[in-house]
Amino acid sequence: MSQENYPVIRILPSALAETPGDEPFAVVVRSRDELCRWLREPPSSLSWLQVEGILGDSDAWMEAAHSGSDVSLDLILADPSSEFPELYKLVDVSAVHDVRVTIQARPGLLKAVKLAAALRFPIRLLPGQPKADVLAELKQALDFYLHDPAVEAPVEFFHSWIARTQGADVGSLWMILEEDPAAYVHYDIDGQTKISPSGAVGSTEHLPAEFVEDHLKSLLEQGAECATCPWQQSCRGYFKWPDRAYSCQGIKDLFSVIQGAADEMARDLASCVLQSANPT
Amino acid sequence: MSGRVFSVILLPTSECNVACDYCFEHKEPHRLSSALLPLLTKRLLDHLENERIEECEIYWQGGEAMIMGPDWFRQAGELMDSAAEKRGLRFAHFLQTNLISYTPAWNDVIHGMFGGSIGTSMDYPNVHRKLFRGGAEAYTKLWTQRLGEAKSAGIEIGVIAVLHKASLEAGPEDFYRYFTEELGLGDFQVNTPFPGGPAKQHETDFSLDLGELAEFLVGLFDIWIERGYKAGVSLGPFDGLIDHFTGKQARLPCIWKENCSNQFISVDSKGTVAQCDCWVTSYPEYFFGNVFQEPDLTRMLKTSRARRDFVERPKRLVRDEDCLSCRYLSICHGGCPVRTYSALGTMMKKDPYCEVYKAVFACAEAHGREILRGRIATAV
Repeated sequence: MSQENYPVIRILPSALAETPGDEPFAVVVRSRDELCRWLREPPSSLSWLQVEGILGDSDAWMEAAHSGSDVSLDLILADPSSEFPELYKLVDVSAVHDVRVTIQARPGLLKAVKLAAALRFPIRLLPGQPKADVLAELKQALDFYLHDPAVEAPVEFFHSWIARTQGADVGSLWMILEEDPAAYVHYDIDGQTKISPSGAVGSTEHLPAEFVEDHLKSLLEQGAECATCPWQQSCRGYFKWPDRAYSCQGIKDLFSVIQGAADEMARDLASCVLQSANPT
Repeated sequence: MSGRVFSVILLPTSECNVACDYCFEHKEPHRLSSALLPLLTKRLLDHLENERIEECEIYWQGGEAMIMGPDWFRQAGELMDSAAEKRGLRFAHFLQTNLISYTPAWNDVIHGMFGGSIGTSMDYPNVHRKLFRGGAEAYTKLWTQRLGEAKSAGIEIGVIAVLHKASLEAGPEDFYRYFTEELGLGDFQVNTPFPGGPAKQHETDFSLDLGELAEFLVGLFDIWIERGYKAGVSLGPFDGLIDHFTGKQARLPCIWKENCSNQFISVDSKGTVAQCDCWVTSYPEYFFGNVFQEPDLTRMLKTSRARRDFVERPKRLVRDEDCLSCRYLSICHGGCPVRTYSALGTMMKKDPYCEVYKAVFACAEAHGREILRGRIATAV
């Protein structure tokens, strides 16, 4: 899908979403009351609920499992190391609602990835600008995604990145991670738009629709390593935000592993097609 | 309404007409009164409405359920189904019986209320299932006769076999041949034993060497794949595992659910509510409450301190045990709480059959891979 074809989704704090209008929007809920309020009377333009900070609240999930609506839920794990066992609380609610688990790339992310995958939840990993220890876990998570038979649902951004190498029009990494402000406009509690890759809030003077391209252009003008990066077209400077001095070497290694897996899959598929054409 | 199904293992009596060595149930001559059935039905339907669940599966067990007689079941089924229908809900009924008191008088109720199929139990060789008079040999003879009569009446029969030392000594070849060829069954499953309740005193008699048990199950799996899988023989839990490893929707046994506390409860003839029949018949310390004494089943389940342990268990296992690093976590989740509790005195450990399960899962994974390769080769 080309970027211009994406519908713009506003992602609003619950308090700002009371008069949403007809355009698609998502609501960030941070309490049981907010969660239940939106599940009770979801407007037709509500695309999903982004649930933050209430994974441990058993009553909230019990009520969500009994709600009459089928609004999709995006559960944010901000501290995967301590929160991951609580993912079992989502088993009941997932019979009623589509549930995705979004995991902030912090220590312990691999545990959360493994359990979320075992519970068959789609996963979105928000890498941010990972330090060495988290990068090591991201690589382990990639290996788990690529090789473990327990993985049935997509683990983003790995999944779409591989699809992109096979020609799928999934947009840039910003788009894959739903952080391109051209399509996903995040609002803070004051109603101001914000750039929020991986939860790290950063303000920008650029218009949301032009942010990614302006950001990349600026990086290239400043001689950032993006200029010679083989994954520049897909990444578009994602890992240079908000700290432009972040070194991408570890990320490039990660992308190389994904590319290697994608190449292997392409060879296997080609071989299969060849056998189909020449069965003898 | 959600797409969830709620199940109740309902024990209309704790009485039994046989004397199996390894039975974990505390038997006593008590029966569910017809006068209390409407109240039980109301409690269950209220709970379904509270939970926004449309269908409730009732697994009638005992004791021995057939002691209640076919007329009792006919009336019970009509009463429950009628009450459910009035509230836009429904019950689906299943019967697990030892078949010993089966007569043709049961045929109408089995074909009606139970959809023409029932579950029963038999081991190979049978050394522990016994009649009060005549022992194991007489039990086998009478059960086999009843099985034939029921099959002749067009009743589909699934059999559960509990493995014991003599099963392992006989070996998987003879075991498989007995159920498929000698009994002519196309649907049976194997269970692992556990020393629950009163049977705990026989623990040493029924504890199996885990290596030998794993070897037996893997051998049985191989035989079933070779002879039964394509021929349509259903052998649980292997068939569910093959479904899983070949990408189909799999119905795996309760021992491997994410969290059995979300899925079912058991209610005995006195209204006692616990997690499953094993708990309700053996472990009063884990009773959730009484459905006749407490007006709100939903609230009982929500507030029960005993039930909280079941809810907490899988979380504790991925945090404290090695389950998170197991490649089979998604189909096991630490195994069965009651098997763990009966063996270790706590449910906050992984199932003591862990290594056996892993061997079976690995076997299923290998066979599943071969089946998929075969399909791809055929497609190409």
